[in-house]
Amino acid sequence: MDFVGFLLTQSLNAFSQAAILFFIACGLTLIFGIMRIINFAHGSLFMLGAYVGFSTAAATGSFWLALIVAPIVVGAVGMAFEKLFLSRLYIRGDGGAYLMVTFGLAVIMGETIRLIWGPHPHGISTPDMLRGVVILLDQPFPKYRLFLIVFGLLAALGTWQFLERTRAGLLIRAVSQNAEMVQALGTDVQMVRTCVFGFGCAMAALGGVLAAPMVTAFLGMSASVIIDAFVIVIIGGMGSFLGSIIGSLLVAFAQVFGAYYFPNMALAIMYLLMLVILVVRPGGLLGKEE
Amino acid sequence: MNWKTGFVITAFVACLVPLVSPNYMMTVIIEALIFGLFAMSLDLLVGYTRLYSFGHVAAYGLGAYTSALLLLHFNLPLPIAIILAVAISMAIATPIAWVCTRTHGVSFAMLTLAFAQLGYAILYGFKDFTGGSNGLAGIPRPEGPFGLDFFQSKIGYFYMVLFCLLGSYLLCRALVNSPFGAVLAGIRENEPKTAALGYNTRAYKRIVAIAAYGFGALAGALYAPFAGFASPELFFWLISGTVLIMVIVGGSGTLIGPIIGGVFFLMLENQLSEVTSLWPLIFGSIFIAFVMFAPQGIWGLLTARFTKPPVQPGSDRDGEAARAHS
Repeated sequence: MDFVGFLLTQSLNAFSQAAILFFIACGLTLIFGIMRIINFAHGSLFMLGAYVGFSTAAATGSFWLALIVAPIVVGAVGMAFEKLFLSRLYIRGDGGAYLMVTFGLAVIMGETIRLIWGPHPHGISTPDMLRGVVILLDQPFPKYRLFLIVFGLLAALGTWQFLERTRAGLLIRAVSQNAEMVQALGTDVQMVRTCVFGFGCAMAALGGVLAAPMVTAFLGMSASVIIDAFVIVIIGGMGSFLGSIIGSLLVAFAQVFGAYYFPNMALAIMYLLMLVILVVRPGGLLGKEE
Repeated sequence: MNWKTGFVITAFVACLVPLVSPNYMMTVIIEALIFGLFAMSLDLLVGYTRLYSFGHVAAYGLGAYTSALLLLHFNLPLPIAIILAVAISMAIATPIAWVCTRTHGVSFAMLTLAFAQLGYAILYGFKDFTGGSNGLAGIPRPEGPFGLDFFQSKIGYFYMVLFCLLGSYLLCRALVNSPFGAVLAGIRENEPKTAALGYNTRAYKRIVAIAAYGFGALAGALYAPFAGFASPELFFWLISGTVLIMVIVGGSGTLIGPIIGGVFFLMLENQLSEVTSLWPLIFGSIFIAFVMFAPQGIWGLLTARFTKPPVQPGSDRDGEAARAHS
């Protein structure tokens, strides 16, 4: 196998991996930026997205419909949770309380999913137009992964433009900088928080649906993915949107190339990368120390 | 009733447990006590210094694997192996604590999680040494020193675990009630202010983190020879979350509360999971309810009902109590 072709396919693999990771990490970091909450349940919301996506696809036969329904359902669940529980904890101002409530939610959701969908994994079939491979430099590469790269790129660009160009995006950035001031200027900060939490959860669900055709929807998927997402958000800097993109790429490349060159130490490489970055910059690459 | 009377009565009653408990229950009881000790070690960080560690399982796993390796490779008497395991774990914890205590709050939680995950990854990386996903099996309980062998029976092991738990409780109690503990309370309430008073808060945090690792490692070191095996499950990050739940539900910042939380949750889990598969669901709901409505935990609720909350000189407990009620 020639080296350039190998490098190309492995890099494309890493990019498609980064796309999935980005969907989780970007929601996590936006939620952190605006609420100073580490959402432990984010992995479970990702998993819920995959399962809802499975049910939608199974009922309607359309993968594209699943891509629309799952984020809406999971986003609504997220907003309800924020309204019911998290919003009552803001006055306490204790970061640990959020960590723990969302951890409790993660436990409950994992169980609820097991009760509803059973312990067996559920696969979502890839839509017809994305089946098969394309040949790049004599190397076969799955079409679906190319689609992931394009979709992830569009989502990243879209979110970025949304945050930079729209009034709602302006509000989100303002709240993350100084919530009290925004409140004093007459904006319903609580509303912004609920919406951003819902948006973050919807993004995670989107990631879940996108991952399902490759890995199926299974009960352990939340645990593996939430740790990756934490690592990304910590590397990139908590609350930094650009940081979540950079972090996703770094982690995906570390995973893909680490698995190839050091199969035994692939996991350790990711954590070492994170430790080195944290020791040098405790707030992450683009974050500020809390 | 002062605490010494209470302690002696509790210890006495606990010593009688093997007389009334059926033999099959003893396994669960011993595991519960070990978990109580583990939860208490985390309370040093969470309850007394407000450092939320999300990787405390590293202490447990470290202790378990060190004692397992010591027992498998060197023919050491069990108590010596456990003491050595704790010492080695604390030595390994020293650089970890040095790095982690550079931060606080969410960053601290994430850094401790990262170290725990690194440990988990290393277990898989050095398969020849750690057994990888198979873990280490057939860990013996060699007798000695001085011909001691009471811990080779299950009842005897119970007394050894009980002794370690009570001894650790006394040590931790002495630690948090000392001037050192008062500085920890200062860090918990307001770290910049404590630093401004001239205390090197990072050094204090480092020491308490190493101590917490030490007691956590003791729990792990007690568990591995009892179970007879050590698996990567002992390093799994969800255990960090579970033990944090036990600390909070039991009542953080009380030492006794987390012991109660750890012991009762493990026993409850054992009993309920036989009856219903819904246990994790119940567990999660109870936990959320406690965080939302009773952040002072079981022990906090009990003591608030029956006695006045203890106000310790030098600590800012009244401030905290006032906030909890507002």
